[in-house]
Amino acid sequence: MSFLKTYNIKEKTKLLRDFFQEFFLIKRSAHAIGISLIFSLLIIQFSTPKFYVSSALREAQANSQQSVSAGNIAGELLLGNIENKDSGNFGTFKANMHSYALAKRMWEQGWGSKVFGDGNLDEEYFNSIPKKHKIIDRIAAFFSGYELFQYFTAHDLQSYIKSNYEIIKPMGSKNINVSTMTPDKEFAILFMSAVIKETDKYAKLRLIQTSKEIISASYDQLASSRNSTITSAIASTINSEYFKIANLENDMPYHIYIVDPPHSSEYPISPNFIAIIFSNTIIFLFLSVFLSFISKNKEDLW
Amino acid sequence: MVNEYFEQLTYGRTLDYYIFELANFSIFGLILLLLYRLNFINSNSLIAWLGIFLSPLLFNYLLFSPYLFPDQFEYAREAISVKANGTSWADIFFYSNNNFNLSTENFAPISTVVFSSKILSTIPLLNYMTVTSLAFANKAILFITFLWFKRFFNNENEILLYFLIPSILLYSSLAIRDTLIIVISIFFIINLIRGKIIWSILALIPLFILKIQMFAILLIYLVGYAIFQAHRSKNFFIFFIFIFLISGLILEDLILLILDRYRLAFIAEDFVGVDGAISYQGWDLYGGGEESVPELSSIFSAIFLGLLNLPILLLIPMPWNWSGIFYPLQTIESIFLVYLYFNLSRNKGVLMDYQYIFLTFILIMGLSIYALLMANEGTFVRYRFTLFYPFLFGLLYLSSSDYQGSKKAYKED
Repeated sequence: MSFLKTYNIKEKTKLLRDFFQEFFLIKRSAHAIGISLIFSLLIIQFSTPKFYVSSALREAQANSQQSVSAGNIAGELLLGNIENKDSGNFGTFKANMHSYALAKRMWEQGWGSKVFGDGNLDEEYFNSIPKKHKIIDRIAAFFSGYELFQYFTAHDLQSYIKSNYEIIKPMGSKNINVSTMTPDKEFAILFMSAVIKETDKYAKLRLIQTSKEIISASYDQLASSRNSTITSAIASTINSEYFKIANLENDMPYHIYIVDPPHSSEYPISPNFIAIIFSNTIIFLFLSVFLSFISKNKEDLW
Repeated sequence: MVNEYFEQLTYGRTLDYYIFELANFSIFGLILLLLYRLNFINSNSLIAWLGIFLSPLLFNYLLFSPYLFPDQFEYAREAISVKANGTSWADIFFYSNNNFNLSTENFAPISTVVFSSKILSTIPLLNYMTVTSLAFANKAILFITFLWFKRFFNNENEILLYFLIPSILLYSSLAIRDTLIIVISIFFIINLIRGKIIWSILALIPLFILKIQMFAILLIYLVGYAIFQAHRSKNFFIFFIFIFLISGLILEDLILLILDRYRLAFIAEDFVGVDGAISYQGWDLYGGGEESVPELSSIFSAIFLGLLNLPILLLIPMPWNWSGIFYPLQTIESIFLVYLYFNLSRNKGVLMDYQYIFLTFILIMGLSIYALLMANEGTFVRYRFTLFYPFLFGLLYLSSSDYQGSKKAYKED
């Protein structure tokens, strides 16, 4: 235990005790804690309570084909075994969820009115909800010579979805998590549910369209084909595409299935009451100790 | 306290963010005052470290967006999840979704993000609420390194300046693993120079997961030191280089294959396609495959190319790469670091010490490998610093009273 002798534990313990008595157990510290409590309560009072609304999804089909390309090898080499997070059905779903096309479809269903207006589903109304612009945007528009939109559009709905609805697939997890923070949990649950269903529906539509195009082109080829092997292959393609369409043209989710439908946290998760009070207490206590310390050690420090 | 809802609740640019992170700073502030009072640190260290601990609040969300280093969110998310779920080391190594495969494409047996996050999350911070919380964990690790390293010097002011180098201030103010790699490498190098090989081996193990390149370079240092005693005399050093070259020639195909793979990987990572497609996806579309990157023909051509690119690596970002205010500052820092290394070698009279010669040889070898692979300036400025800084500490230790004293005692014996 030679190091204990080197550090002179007795002397250090005395210094430690003096430090606490000199800087912590003083009036200023008590005042600091009092002020911190008032400050914390004010912050909490002026904060809007926000609920956590989330939904757990799972990819319906595994992404079976993953090409082994130079880029893939390179990515694996540098990124280690971090899987490509935006690949497969998750990537498709995420891209569709944040797309303008989806926002436009939802806008046409009147969701824009529920987000930016009073919820009136009259098309004339929700296409003319007035939009306020920041001064900086007005100045930029004035100098650059373009006009700002007077009304909310699907673009705003797209920005709203992108900035408020987070979709992630945690590393190593099989689930996809869609979440948002909101003061209005009822609306968020409805909106999230609609976004998830519409995203999948939109992604399906694109696949149906692709299959229809393949079928149409295959029929053209079939008409001109004289080789029996090729004819048989084309026929098989047509069959499989019809089967795909049959799979897609129903209300069942295709890219994902919903493990846990959108639901809200029981209580608001923000503001974090305990964390704010505790953190402010530490900050104010430090300020108090620091000020006392500076005033007593001015000479030594400078 | 832990933010279980980090995915959604990042607290960026809110009052809560500053409250939580100032509370983290305050705890370290109190510890610093206490350590000063107990005479563990002097007044200069107190003031400097108060500034260093405050720096995380100046970078993320203030000087730049944290999304400039998007990896931060991966590390923060993982560290917070580890804290919230109480994930143990056993979970990480044996039960989590780690594939444990050791293929040629994937050396690390577990995810580097999970591993680094677990280490960082063991630092007992008051709040693990935002992306910046992890930066405080990095700062704490750096501060412990300072406390450990300063005991080799009579005057701690001598080393204080080395903790104020802008790059270390920046990297330790972010939620990334670079500080961890730097600190472990410093621990490895100092212990190796002190002849404590077991400690060095223990430090080398986590580097296998954290940064395989660093592991490979330091492994050569360890082998040269422990087996060939290349730090002892000219003959041992020359013998080591001879064996090193012979081994290189025997394993030429494998070494060239690995180097070519990494060159391709870095070129692909840096790729920008005509339609704006970037990185690996862009490379897949427009990059032209493996054959478009000229292969290295021999070990000697690899050495030649590495040495040829070395001055560029040491000075990047070059003026024609500058695209922001930080770039010229980084260039100035690059020049300063090289100057510091040579100035320290000259002034402290270690130039003829074989410890120094061997240390510098390994540094030049490591830097030459990076110079050979160099593609993206941003990435390699970071890589270069992560390699250079621990060796600078190695040199600093060679000039310390502890080392000089032990050397004198050894000669007298």
